[in-house]
This record gives sequence, C-alpha cells and structure tokens, in this order.
Amino acid sequence: MIGATILLVFVLAALLAPYISPYDPVTQNTDLRLQGPSWAHLFGTDNFGRDVFSRVIWGLRVDLQIAILGVVFPFIIGTLVGTVAGFFGGLVDAILMRLIDVILAFPFLVLVLSIIAILGPGLTSFYIAMALVGWVSYARLIRAQVLVLKNSDYAVAAVSLGFSRARIMFRHLLPNAVAGSVVFSMSDAVIVLLNGAAISYLGLGVQPPIAEWGIMVAEGQPFITTAWWITLFPGLSIVVLAFGFSLFGDALGDVLGVKE
Amino acid sequence: MSAPVLAVTDLTVTLNRPGGAPRLLLDRVSLDLGKGEVLGLVGESGSGKSLFCRTLVRLLPSRNMQIENGRIMLGEQDLAQASETGMLSVRGGRIGMIFQNPTSHLDPVMSIGNQLSEGLRYHQKLDAPAARRQAIAILRQVGFPDPERQFDAYPHEFSGGMRQRAMIGVALSCNPEILIADEPTTALDVTIQAQILQLLMDIRRERGLSIILITHDLGIVAQTCDRIAVMREGRLIEQGRKRELLRSPDHFYTKTLIGSHPSMPSPAMEKKALTSPPDFRATRDKPLLKVEDVDVCFAGAGSLLGKQSGSVRAVAGASLEIMAGEIVGIVGESGSGKSTLARAILGLTPITSGNVTFDGTSLRGDPGAFLAKLRRETAMVFQDPYNALNPRMTVGEMLAEVLKVQGRIPQVDIPARVGELLDLVELGREFAERRPRSMSGGQCQRAGIARALAVNPRLIIADESTAALDVTIQAQILDLFRTLKEKMQLTLLFIAHDLAIVRNLCDRVVVMNRGQIVEQGTSLQVFEDPTDSYTQALIRAIPDIDPDKSLLPLADREMA
Repeated sequence: MIGATILLVFVLAALLAPYISPYDPVTQNTDLRLQGPSWAHLFGTDNFGRDVFSRVIWGLRVDLQIAILGVVFPFIIGTLVGTVAGFFGGLVDAILMRLIDVILAFPFLVLVLSIIAILGPGLTSFYIAMALVGWVSYARLIRAQVLVLKNSDYAVAAVSLGFSRARIMFRHLLPNAVAGSVVFSMSDAVIVLLNGAAISYLGLGVQPPIAEWGIMVAEGQPFITTAWWITLFPGLSIVVLAFGFSLFGDALGDVLGVKE
Repeated sequence: MSAPVLAVTDLTVTLNRPGGAPRLLLDRVSLDLGKGEVLGLVGESGSGKSLFCRTLVRLLPSRNMQIENGRIMLGEQDLAQASETGMLSVRGGRIGMIFQNPTSHLDPVMSIGNQLSEGLRYHQKLDAPAARRQAIAILRQVGFPDPERQFDAYPHEFSGGMRQRAMIGVALSCNPEILIADEPTTALDVTIQAQILQLLMDIRRERGLSIILITHDLGIVAQTCDRIAVMREGRLIEQGRKRELLRSPDHFYTKTLIGSHPSMPSPAMEKKALTSPPDFRATRDKPLLKVEDVDVCFAGAGSLLGKQSGSVRAVAGASLEIMAGEIVGIVGESGSGKSTLARAILGLTPITSGNVTFDGTSLRGDPGAFLAKLRRETAMVFQDPYNALNPRMTVGEMLAEVLKVQGRIPQVDIPARVGELLDLVELGREFAERRPRSMSGGQCQRAGIARALAVNPRLIIADESTAALDVTIQAQILDLFRTLKEKMQLTLLFIAHDLAIVRNLCDRVVVMNRGQIVEQGTSLQVFEDPTDSYTQALIRAIPDIDPDKSLLPLADREMA
C-alpha cells in the first residue's frame, strides 16, 4: 500500500513536472548561486543558481524512465529465453545456460560499462547494455519455474490433449511461472535505477545539463561540505523511489501468491 | 470401562478473524477415552477431527484460534487451563502423536536412533547409554529387523512403512498414556497399512495404551477400534460402540458415510453379480486398445564420466487388451508401474520396446498418425484435482481452449458446448466463470473430467482419480464415471491402489506388481478367486467395514 502510494505520487509528479516545478530546471541564474533551502527554493539552489527542487522533479522523469525501460527489455528477453530453455531442455537448454554462465562470469557493471563505452555514452546505449546483460537473472528464474511446472498434471494434460508446444509454453506454463519474476523485477528496478544513476555519475549516461539524479549528485560533490542540499535531495529521492519499488514488489508478491 | 484417562467436556474452539465475527471451529465436543481403549475418530476433511486432537495437546495451528470454553481432563489435570510450560511434560510424555506423513515429521539430518533417544533422555531422564539400549528395544518392538545397526540409519534410508514404524517408536519412547494417530496409514500401501495397524494393536495390548485413531476410512475403524466417534463441521454428531454404530447408525451423515464405503456392495455391483459377466471377446473381434509386451525403462543417474549406471525397468513385458465399452482397472501398490504404463499408453512416456495399438493404428506402424489419433480420441483424468487444472484459467476458458484446439465444432458453438460439458459432469453452468482456487476438490475433479470429455474421447484413462477425495465425494465421482460410461459409450481404464473401488467399478481387473502384470481377469474372478499369491495378499489387506471379516487375526479386539 505504502509502496503503491509512493510510486503513484512519483509517477504523477513526473507527468505533471511542467506544472508543479516552480522554476525551469536548466535556466542558470548566477545571482542565486548556492543558496540554502528557503521558501522560495525549497531544496536550495546549485552552483549555477538552478532550483534543486525543480531539477529533482524533472530528474524524476528521466530516472523513472531508466528504472522502467531498464527492466522491461531484460524482462521480456529473459522470460522468453527462460521459458524456451526450461521447456525444451536438452541441448537448447545447455547452450542457453552456458551463455548465461559466460555473461555471469563478468562483473555486472564492468560489462555494462564496456558495452556503453563501445556504443558511445547516452541513455540508448545504457538501455541496450541493460537488455544485453540484465536478462540472465530473469531467464534463470523463469527456467527454474518452468522446469517444475512442465511436469505438473495440467501441463501433461495439455500435451495429452494435443495442444501445440507454443500454446503449452506461452498459454499454460508462462502465466504460472512469471509471478516470481514480476516481483523480482521490482527489486531489479531499484538496482537498475542505482546503476543508471551510477552510470550518469560516471558521465556515461544522461548528459548535462539535463536534470538527472545521478548527475546532480555528481555535480554537487565538490560542494558537499558547503552546500549539502545539492547532493542530499536527489540522493534522498533515489532512496525513496527505490524504497517505493521495493515495497510495491513485496505487496505484489503477496497478491500474486509468490511464496517467500 | 474403567474411569476415563481423558475426559473432554464441551470443548469449543473459535477462530478470531480480524474485522469479522469469530468463527466456531469446534462446537461443544465432549468425548471420553478409556484406558486401553482404541477410539476411532471419523470425518471428512474439514470436519475438525485433526483440530480436535491438536487442541488436546494445545498445539493450535494459528494464533487466531483459541479455546473458548470446555475442559480437557487428563487424570486430575485440566489441559485447557494448563500453562505452556506445564504442557511441555504432557506433550510426548503423556500424550504422544503420530502423523500421516512420516517423511515430513522425522528430522532428516538426525539418525532414527537419536530421535528416539531424545525423548527418552528428556522425558525419562535416562543417560546416553541407557537411552541407546532402551531405543534399540523400542526399535525392535516396532518391528525393525536389525535395530543395533538401524539405530544409526537416517530416515531417507527407510521405506514409508518403516518410517511410520520409526515415528511410532519416537512416540513410544516417551512412554505416553495416550497415543493420537492422525491418519497414520493414509500415505501407505494396503499391505503396509495392515502391518502398521497390526503393530498399533500389538502395542496397545502390550502397554495398555489408549489410542485415538483419526481416519477417513471406516474400514480401518471397523477393523481396529472399540468405539467410534463421527465428526462433521466441528461437531461430534454421533458416538458409540463400534458394532452398534456400524449396525444401526442414528445420524443420516453416518449412514451416508457407511453407505459410501467402497467395500459396501453397490447396486451396480449386485446387478453385475446377477447377470453373467458380458463376454466382450465373443461380441467384438478387435480390441480398442492393445498393449503388447511393453517395456518402459528409465535411465539411471549418469556418472561423472557420462556412463550410465544402469537403468530401472518400470514396466516389464506388459500385455493387455481393452475392448470398446469396457471398464478395466489396473491395481497395484506404489512403484508397481501402473501409472507409468498408463502414460506409456498415451504416448506421454516413451516405451523402450513393445507395441501399442489403438483402434487399428499402431505405435510401431506409424508413430505420427498413432499419436495424432491418440490426442484426438483419448483423454486423461488425474489424481490431484488442483494440480491438474491451470490455476490461472477459469473452467470455461479451459474447456473452450480444448474445443478450439480440437477444432471439430465451429467457434460460435463453443460456449453452448461448454455449457453442455458442465451439465454432463453435473457442475452448474456458473462454474464456467470460476477458477480452481475457489472450488472444492470434488468440483475440480468434475472440471477435470469435463476437460477429458471435451475431446469427445473413446478412451479415458483415469489415474488415481479418486484417491485424493473424501469418501462421499469419491462415491459421487465413481457414480459420475458410471453414468458417463453408459451415456457416451466410453471405454475407461481406471488406475487405482484402492482395490475396493476397482472392484465396484470395473468389469475387468489387471493386477500389477514390480512392473509386471501378475494377474488379469474379470473383477469377480480376481476378487473372489485370486490365483496369484500377490493378488491374494493384496485382497486380504483391504480393511472391510464388517468387523467380523477380520483383517488382523491377532488383534485383541474385544477388550474387557
């Protein structure tokens, strides 16, 4: 409930960003540099005199997009691969599983960074990198479920009734196997969000002057002792959004009947 | 009867639901248990019989349940008022329990002997060597052939029957006055069941133990108990001495229970006995299904070097014929290969050698055409009604899907046909909108049968299709099979471990043991005059509802 509320508020804020943010997020105003939080500037201003509150709201748009797109593509790829591997087994399974082992052998961030480095910095590269690397966890989760479910009586019944393989896989096994992955995707969204922020912090993701929480944290770093508000509020926003996803994932698990 | 060891008066247990009115789970149950008495507690799932016994030792399954009222007098002590620490010495020490599934109630990482010694050391304050000696004595008493060696063995090294013996041993190790046995033989094969019941009776005689035996099988009760108590919906509806209660039950529910016991001759069975068994071989020349010398082998676990360490022969040289319109039963104990044979016939498990012919097309002749024909003209009904239905689909969606894939009737007629199928299995049409989760076991099983019928099959294979159901539901499903067979000229292959059911339903019976068919013939022949020694043992082990048809020759049945 709390998770859903947090997410709902964030999504609304992102949609309504042009209306609720008091200032333009990129317009610089050197007269207002590094002002602390006040009624005029709730979260203060940064070293270019931009309103931090407005930048946090506009950044939300970007970060929500990162969390969602960074999960959706791996989810789709992983679900398909996992279902196929689990259902067919044998050689197909062996090949796909070894591929997963190879990907897992590299540290996650290193792999993502190298792909982005090859493709060039930017959000598109980030999504491609996430899709190429992130699907492995989903594939493993789904495969394990499908392995169990394909021996259930209703799957056997489907075979004995002459249903096609595609029908059994996608109509009978997948809907029952997917619940665990849906829940996992929520905690994955948190990780992706943090990765997105980290990548932007390293200068490989979103490019300035666009407002994004990771960049904002990075930009505020030199002033952390004198103007703490520049880093604190975007950082705090990341935490709250992550918390929202996490709680929502738990609640989703209860609704979908996933056993802990 | 001497003074009761346990006297329960007006025991009431309620479930407090947050934001709802409390629900009554046990409604003023009063029951006495005499010394050395065996009391049979009968009722269907959800009747509160297990809850009653758990309440006796104050192990309520949920914090929201509480004893509202009543007394549980164990000697001078009222257990309903006892403190939690007070209960520690009662549980195990004075009231021991054994459960349905010994596998999940024994600790898998602790040797059988240590699990026994634990109770001895805690409740009887024995030191380690003394406990070991005592544990070995108990193991011998519960029927372990080599207790010194088996003391150090772990639960997984034993069969289900031996595990149940071990669990009885653990219960005995605390030397209780009362033993509560909750469906102790339900998970076991009939021959093993007979042994375990015999063991319980022996222990009762040797130790003067009082036993509460919870079971759904009136046959077991008739064979072992002194008194019977019948529970339904949290109420004790009837109790009395065994013979009187079985002879003249007062309550209509007890009558239904007795009437639906599979060992009772059904009207259909009596009719069959009067008319001579139909001779299918004479009337039709060709069998619908012919199984010739079928072997099914499973590869053993491969070693690291990829070499196979041998294979298991689950079905060995099975041959049988089924005529159109026949009901044939395959019986056998767990591991006899009966389910594997059924799956092999339906092409769900590959056969290693042999041949299956279905209505002219054979597996060896043209496998593709054979499978296609099988998929269109046969269907299967499963054991676990919940596991057999896709939990995410409504009954209507499920039936419509089968009809659509089979593609024999136009799309527009599908909803009407779904309705007809529901009518056939006697489910209301509103069930089309329901999902398995909101249905009872019997309703799910009907939906499963409807799915099988959607194919318009000529042959239905039912694999233990009534084993997971309560007796009265079981009887209804069997009736449904009979009606459907008449209405639709079905051929039915019925697989069951429960011989009484097969006897009532089937024209012919095939008996399997260790992968082989040891005997086949008409039901009358096989049950009245079995030739194979295994079949004889199997039939002898069925607990009959008539207490005079003794299952346990040594049981000391009439206590003074």
